[in-house]
Amino acid sequence: MNEPTGAEVLLRCERVSVRRGRREVVSDVSAELRAGEIVALLGPNGAGKSTLLDALAGALPVAQGQVDRRGRVAIALQSPDLARRSALANVMLALAWWGVPHRERSRRARDALRAIGAEHLAGRPAAALSGGERRRVHLARAIAVRPDVLLLDEPFAGLDAEVRANLLEDALSALRSTTRATLVVVHDRAEAWALADRLLILINGRLMAAGPPRELLEQPPTVDVARFLGFDGQLDDGDEMVLTRPAHVTLDPAGPLEARVTRVIPIEDGVRLELGLDHGRLHCLAPLPAPRPGEIVRMRLDGGARFPIIHSNHHDQLNVARSP
Amino acid sequence: MHLIWEELRAAMPLIWHGNPNLFSIIWFTVQVAAVATAIATLIGLPVGLALGLERFPGRHLLRSLANASLALPPVLVGAILYLLMVPRAPLGSLQLIWTRQAVFIAQTILALPYIVALSAAAVQALPPGLLAQARLLGAARRHVWALALREARIGVLAAVIAALGTSLSEVAAVTILGGNIYGHDQTLASATLYEVDGAHYADAVAIAIVLIVLILVLMCGLGVLQQHGNGIRLRFRTST
Repeated sequence: MNEPTGAEVLLRCERVSVRRGRREVVSDVSAELRAGEIVALLGPNGAGKSTLLDALAGALPVAQGQVDRRGRVAIALQSPDLARRSALANVMLALAWWGVPHRERSRRARDALRAIGAEHLAGRPAAALSGGERRRVHLARAIAVRPDVLLLDEPFAGLDAEVRANLLEDALSALRSTTRATLVVVHDRAEAWALADRLLILINGRLMAAGPPRELLEQPPTVDVARFLGFDGQLDDGDEMVLTRPAHVTLDPAGPLEARVTRVIPIEDGVRLELGLDHGRLHCLAPLPAPRPGEIVRMRLDGGARFPIIHSNHHDQLNVARSP
Repeated sequence: MHLIWEELRAAMPLIWHGNPNLFSIIWFTVQVAAVATAIATLIGLPVGLALGLERFPGRHLLRSLANASLALPPVLVGAILYLLMVPRAPLGSLQLIWTRQAVFIAQTILALPYIVALSAAAVQALPPGLLAQARLLGAARRHVWALALREARIGVLAAVIAALGTSLSEVAAVTILGGNIYGHDQTLASATLYEVDGAHYADAVAIAIVLIVLILVLMCGLGVLQQHGNGIRLRFRTST
């Protein structure tokens, strides 16, 4: 699928399936990670993201397929559990596990803490760190060992918006390396847009899409991927259905479409409207003052993804094929 | 109540003025407790860490057995060891019955379950991500064990305290194997029983007071160490 070319492939998995007990959690996944790129692995809860990460790191055996690794792979687990010692000592401990000579540990640990904006935490005991600070030290451990392939499992989970935004900004520069391939499991699409050169979208254990974020947003390959990427509006248009994101829908008194406001949900900068049409339902964002429920509004569509419909007898059982 | 008061009053001069035999009993009690706890720790800690950290077939059964052995009656251990040590028994040729060595062996065996079961539980209670992350960053088994031991030091110290407690206060196995012979292999606990049996209540109370003071001093010392666990600098070599 749509892999960048040129840089050296540092990790390649081919038709990999992974089982947990009797259940196949990851099925038939093929992908490559190349030097210099940051790839985000996205998917809904239970899609098999962490399982795939463990398998790529070699922590879980694959049931089928093959994983080829060039160089050393480090994985940072989702939970930032630190030893009861200082932040600097935690990073130095990771370097010791990795096999870094004693004389280099202090300098490399400080470099990693500085890179992730945590130099001021060096002497602080782990027990005195906040959630965001623990995540910074956890990331510093993974960066300090300088792996060829770095796998991060939800490094921004459980942080409030402001802390997450700050960490994301620091992580973006700290993770960028011309010689390293980085795969980051993220739960939030905004994190993926901010970090990744490329997205891998895993749904029900299968890799459903791979490609640059902008490309996938403009042309999601399947309805499932589109829905996952926030295409929550749907209009039936003859033999096609149009899926839209709120950004595709603009209230416009001169617009060609008419709809009734069915729901108004307040958000930070205005409202999110749910609009009912004869042949579908759309969502859009609008500033205040906003229309009220029941009001008739006009709008226009600026984009959206079209998918052919294979007709069946019941409206709710539409079969939707992959887009061409 | 009056009787207890009278015996306490009679016991005090025995403690103040000292008694060579009492000092000998105190010294032997401390020796037994220290040696038994040390040997039980040396043997039991690796076993406990293996039970708590490693994955191998039968580990759940072994953990259950370790936990069950906490309830092992000392009198039963004493009786089994006695049957193994009598002449013509497998260990009879060693002629251990009614020797100080037999007391050391009995106390070590009784202390062992505390070290094994409680240290296994202590390392199992660590955040699972901590050790998993260490393994994923290339930590060898010895690194993981050292990390677990350091992180679970408060729980491991609790195991040592429990083992020391049982070594100081146990009486049944000591009596069966050592014979509770006056001036030879008595501990403070078994000497208390000896004096009660002989109706020397003032002596019994004096020895019991010394035993309680000894337990309080040792346990408080370890307790302070445990409560300040975060401040203890335990260093393990982590270099490869």
